[in-house]
Amino acid sequence: MSNINGKLYAMNAITPMKPWKTRILRLIFFLLWHIKSKQADLIHLSFIQFARWVIIPRNRFPSLSSGQKQETLKYDYLLFFSNFNGTWNQYIDAFSDVLSDGLNLIWRWSEKFPGSVPVTGFKEYIARVQFDTDYYYTSYPQATANDTKAAHIVVAALDTLAAQAATQTPEQFHAAYLQFVLAAQANLGTLGDAPAVF
Amino acid sequence: MSNQNGSVFGLTFLCPILNDAAASPSHDLQIRDYLSTLDTRAGSPFAIAPGTHLARLAVMDDVIFVGSPAIEEHLQSKYLVFETNCDSDVDPYIRGLASAVPEHLDAVWQHCTGYPGAADATKLVAYMKACQIPTSFFFAAVNNKSVTQTLTALQTQQAVAHFIASHQGMEPAQLQREFLSFVQTLRALPCPAPCSIIPTGGPR
Repeated sequence: MSNINGKLYAMNAITPMKPWKTRILRLIFFLLWHIKSKQADLIHLSFIQFARWVIIPRNRFPSLSSGQKQETLKYDYLLFFSNFNGTWNQYIDAFSDVLSDGLNLIWRWSEKFPGSVPVTGFKEYIARVQFDTDYYYTSYPQATANDTKAAHIVVAALDTLAAQAATQTPEQFHAAYLQFVLAAQANLGTLGDAPAVF
Repeated sequence: MSNQNGSVFGLTFLCPILNDAAASPSHDLQIRDYLSTLDTRAGSPFAIAPGTHLARLAVMDDVIFVGSPAIEEHLQSKYLVFETNCDSDVDPYIRGLASAVPEHLDAVWQHCTGYPGAADATKLVAYMKACQIPTSFFFAAVNNKSVTQTLTALQTQQAVAHFIASHQGMEPAQLQREFLSFVQTLRALPCPAPCSIIPTGGPR
């Protein structure tokens, strides 16, 4: 079991939904996807690198051979996968605090979902529906989501400065360089191992 | 609807695990045993094969009963969940894995129902497509950069930080010369390997 790799935590959760509610949730996902402003809170939770929800209709569990027993489920299932920086408690606390309306909109269609506030009931529910990861890989174990975003900002600023540096006078270059340092300085964090957390 | 966000793909596969009462240990345990021995850094199959940002494998033993008055129900099979965030869609991505790390694919998926083996990439792609569940909503913090671009960016970020720190107060003409040399050296560097330790100093 390996829910952690470097600075990342992998979370998996599965919740049952009555099939008629699945249609509502699909509509909600459709609207969330197309109305980008509705994703603002998720984007502002800057410790999430990737996350996804996957609906599995009760009759769509893959069946690969005639010898495989068919599933006979009454519920559809909602899978949630997240890749985030920090601890499980920090994540759920922040999710509940910042994104409670959005989470309620998505999970209220799942059976027995208590709501994301107060956080105690929400944590109990997530702990119950979570299952562990057996193998977890990241190409950037030393970097957080913010590190990767910041790195791309530095590259863009460097490219701009480099494009003009060769043709500038030393004084012009110096002024441009100082502007570059000002723009880049908030995005120069050091990579490294994750801090020990308990 | 949303297996893709920008240029990044979020692929989800649910592969039924063989349910063989005579197998000892059971196939799900054999998968877990193998995964527990697998390198999670530079020797990972996902580091060797191209184009994976993050990936996970998890054995899903059963669905979860959330308590009364919900109905308690159970799966007939256990499933291997393969969740990956990558730079290409199913066909090229799976072919890349089959080409680079067929032995690892076989070692894990030989315990799954209907697995055709990695030697025949066309059959493997068809199998994975049969196991694929469309992603309903996919979020990516950075959705327009490849693995290679991000690794290069992290390397650049660390080198720039070192350059700035070591060139404070330098006279403009010399700073300009050294900056141009720095950029030239930086751009000549190879992309760091996935999972490699990116040095926090300047270009080596």
